[in-house]
Amino acid sequence: MTKPVELPQGTLEMLILKAISLGPLHGYGILLRIQQISGERLEILQGSFYTAIYRLERQGWIKGEWGESENNRRARFYSLTAAGTRQLKAETAKWTDMAAVVAGILGKKAI
Amino acid sequence: MSLRTAIRKLWHSIAPRTHSDVEEEFRSTLNAYQEDLIRRGLPEEEARRKARIDLGRPATQNETYRDTIGLRVFDELGGDIRYGLRGLRRNPGFAAVAVLSLALGIGATTAMFSLIYAVLLHPFPYAGADRIMNPVVIDPQHPGERSWFPLSKAQFDDLRLAAPVDSALGFNNSDMEITGGALPEDISGIYVTENAGTFFGVRPLLGRNLEPSDAENGGHFVVVLNYRFWQRHFGGDPHVIGRMLEINHAPYTIVGVMPRSFAFNDSTGVGDVYVPNSLMPSFNLPFVASIPWIKLRPDVTLAAANAALEPIVRQFAQQHPDRFPDHWHLALEPIIVPYQQGTGRTLTLLLAGVVLLLIIGCANCSILLLARGRTRQHELAIRSAIGASRWRIVRQLLVEAVVLSSTGAVLGVAASYWLAKLPLLLSPHSFPAESVIRINAPILAFSIALALLCGILFGLAPALRLSRRDQARMLPGKQIGAAPAKHRWSVLIAAQVALTLLLLATAGTAIRSFLGLMQMPLGYDPANVIKLGLLLHFHDPGEWSRIQSREARTAYIEQIREKIASVAGISTAAVSSDAFGTDATPPYTGAESSFNMDGIRDREPLARVMLVDQRYFAALRIPLLQGRLWNTDENTRGDFIAVVNHAFATRYLSSSNAVGRQLRIPGLAHQNHWAVTSAQSTAWRQIIGVAGDARNDGVDRPVVPAIYLPYTAVIPSNVQFFVRTQGDPLTYLHSMRAAIASVASDQQISNSTFNGTFTLNEAIERDAQYSRQRFFSVLFGVWAAMGLALALVGVFSVVAYSVAQRTTEFGVRLALGAPRAHVLWVAARIALVSTAAGIVIGLAFDSFLGAVLAHWMQSAFAAGSLFAAAALLALSALLACLLPARHAIAVPPAEALRYE
Repeated sequence: MTKPVELPQGTLEMLILKAISLGPLHGYGILLRIQQISGERLEILQGSFYTAIYRLERQGWIKGEWGESENNRRARFYSLTAAGTRQLKAETAKWTDMAAVVAGILGKKAI
Repeated sequence: MSLRTAIRKLWHSIAPRTHSDVEEEFRSTLNAYQEDLIRRGLPEEEARRKARIDLGRPATQNETYRDTIGLRVFDELGGDIRYGLRGLRRNPGFAAVAVLSLALGIGATTAMFSLIYAVLLHPFPYAGADRIMNPVVIDPQHPGERSWFPLSKAQFDDLRLAAPVDSALGFNNSDMEITGGALPEDISGIYVTENAGTFFGVRPLLGRNLEPSDAENGGHFVVVLNYRFWQRHFGGDPHVIGRMLEINHAPYTIVGVMPRSFAFNDSTGVGDVYVPNSLMPSFNLPFVASIPWIKLRPDVTLAAANAALEPIVRQFAQQHPDRFPDHWHLALEPIIVPYQQGTGRTLTLLLAGVVLLLIIGCANCSILLLARGRTRQHELAIRSAIGASRWRIVRQLLVEAVVLSSTGAVLGVAASYWLAKLPLLLSPHSFPAESVIRINAPILAFSIALALLCGILFGLAPALRLSRRDQARMLPGKQIGAAPAKHRWSVLIAAQVALTLLLLATAGTAIRSFLGLMQMPLGYDPANVIKLGLLLHFHDPGEWSRIQSREARTAYIEQIREKIASVAGISTAAVSSDAFGTDATPPYTGAESSFNMDGIRDREPLARVMLVDQRYFAALRIPLLQGRLWNTDENTRGDFIAVVNHAFATRYLSSSNAVGRQLRIPGLAHQNHWAVTSAQSTAWRQIIGVAGDARNDGVDRPVVPAIYLPYTAVIPSNVQFFVRTQGDPLTYLHSMRAAIASVASDQQISNSTFNGTFTLNEAIERDAQYSRQRFFSVLFGVWAAMGLALALVGVFSVVAYSVAQRTTEFGVRLALGAPRAHVLWVAARIALVSTAAGIVIGLAFDSFLGAVLAHWMQSAFAAGSLFAAAALLALSALLACLLPARHAIAVPPAEALRYE
């Protein structure tokens, strides 16, 4: 069994963007998707989830539309906007760079 | 990108998702999660609980949402405002006093600001009014006197085309008659150059203004109507455009009606009708063409324009030396200057007065808030105890203060609508006719800013004081003993009292000087005398030819005079006529003219010339000091004699007897086309008498030298009758009209601006200085009374609150046997002491300010009115203290103790 991972500040937004980049999802769907991708290792509930959604919506990176969920319930589906797509790309690049640098430093230390 | 993001964010905050939308979404997620949990095997109740613990409660979701998108501050402010309003409803007495205090202050300040805006900042409706100049020539010997110089057409064009001039308007006032009806009606017309439309830039109410094309073919017969004339003559008929109006026996087409705010012009007389300049009859007049107003180019300074135009005007002076003094320089005078000189200073003082009133009102609110705050300590302590930050409490208290001040501002602005009209009602002649006083955008902005400022000003001190952390210690129980930090009230009350004293002393001084003005001997008796203006029919060729000669005209006038004099109840009827366009109606009489006289030092002696008959002195009750008046024969002849006033005798003939000396007035020859002059009007005249000094330069200015001549020396088309009646002269108007009609059925009494009909008392009321002083003392009196009322309310409420709060203490004191007088003293002490301190500070302050104000008000603070004000203040403050303090000794000890 893998250990749960604590999320660094500000990365939840990036994960949400990533989750819906594959197609529109409603709130709970995003949660499931993130947990699924992470192999159930992320604890992201605790109320901060919707704050992140609202912030992304206000930034104009995602937009919500009402639709019907898989079990015929009304649900709000979020999809990426053009700005959101750009943001995800930029964030991903930044993250990869940073991860590489950090990994490099830590790796050297280990040697 | 970043800008677009910012706009997107802003838009999202402006148009946020609705509450139900946010909540529904959250519920759907919550339900989905809950069902998932149930599927995974949790019991339903457990799943519900876990879902809520993990995701949050739906009820708080909107708060999270609004917090995230930055709207929470507004939600809290909204809450504070609602709470503040509820607080006001709970304490209607407190609310009413606080709101009224502010409404008075804000209302008065807004009214004054709108007045200043209308009179000083934006008095004229013309486009680029601040660039419109009135060119005048100033004689360095008499720098206070400005004279105009009329221009011929060619000269006007020279001026118009000069480099610094954007455009120029030429105008000329003229008495006109509306003919074609049963009776002719005389009106005041102005010939204006046809560029009037673009020069003024004022959109006509109906139709159009004059256009350059109206000058074609020697001028089109078109007329533009003044608003008031349109109301008076046409009853405001909206279909008047295109109709005909017969003026001076010629048909004119009405092409436009100007709006109410357009009343060109105040200095030479407001026109009833405006007609093309090209139609002005080109008589062989000595003073031919138009008075210019010039609009400078926007980039030209006044000094540069003066320098550029001076040589051009010098040329005019070479062409017509008789129209200019010997020594002069040109001055371009912004058209606002006469009003600024007249009213600017008064308005500034009045504004200072209302600002004082506003400060007193704010202090009052501070006192009330502090006093009420003591009853709220418990509530604030609880809020603080359950975690409200100090800032949060300060904000709430400030918002409450702003709620108060905004309510006050709404009431105040409504009140200012009437307050702003008060000065115009009291003193209609000291403001430009065209300044329309109304509440407009800048004024609304001013009041809103004022309200916010006041709210913060009077709310901050109490808010900071009440939000102090140590308040939390008061939570356990109510406090019984004397309250700490009373000195804040004391300071506020002392300040309030000192400012009120300043207002009272200023008002007292103003009222005193106005009373002094009213009691000033006039040198004539204005009671029961009416002036009738008559315009002879010079536009009607047939009738005019009958009174063309001086003899026929004199006979016509005398015939009318006799008929008027024969009306029962009329004791005297006298005649006067205009010389140089100025008649003999006090308190401003005669035209300043130069004269010659042997053996006097002045190189260019000046005196007011008045053309009257010998009965004028009896009608106005001006005494004869020396010599004699002229008789009927001399009056008919008009030449060789003169009477001077006492000021003339002392000014020019100080050492010798005036009677018997000779003088001549060369200027009498230069009269207008319509005037007839006696055979030797400019010949030497012997002084046969000296009359007493009657005010002739305004009610408050010293009498200037004057020469009285028989009116038959010069008879223009305007004549006046001065009629002394028994009882109210206005009741005789009808019989006087009938008397005139019995001589000439179509001769009307004039109602034009200058040659109109009014009583001499009304003429005094029209005097600018008189009406200015009157409205200054009335307004300042009203404000001083308001200030006094506010200060007293402040003192009263402090004592009343403290007595209410210290009921227990007083009960205990009384129960322990304290004398009642002592308890009374304890209850009122702080208020009394601070009032006394305020009066002392105020007295000291006023004696210091007295010197400054004396310069502004042209009269010093009288020690008498200062002490009278102090005594009034002390007495009423004592009452305001003792009335509520009485309750302290009326407390039955047993009941007081039950409060515990």
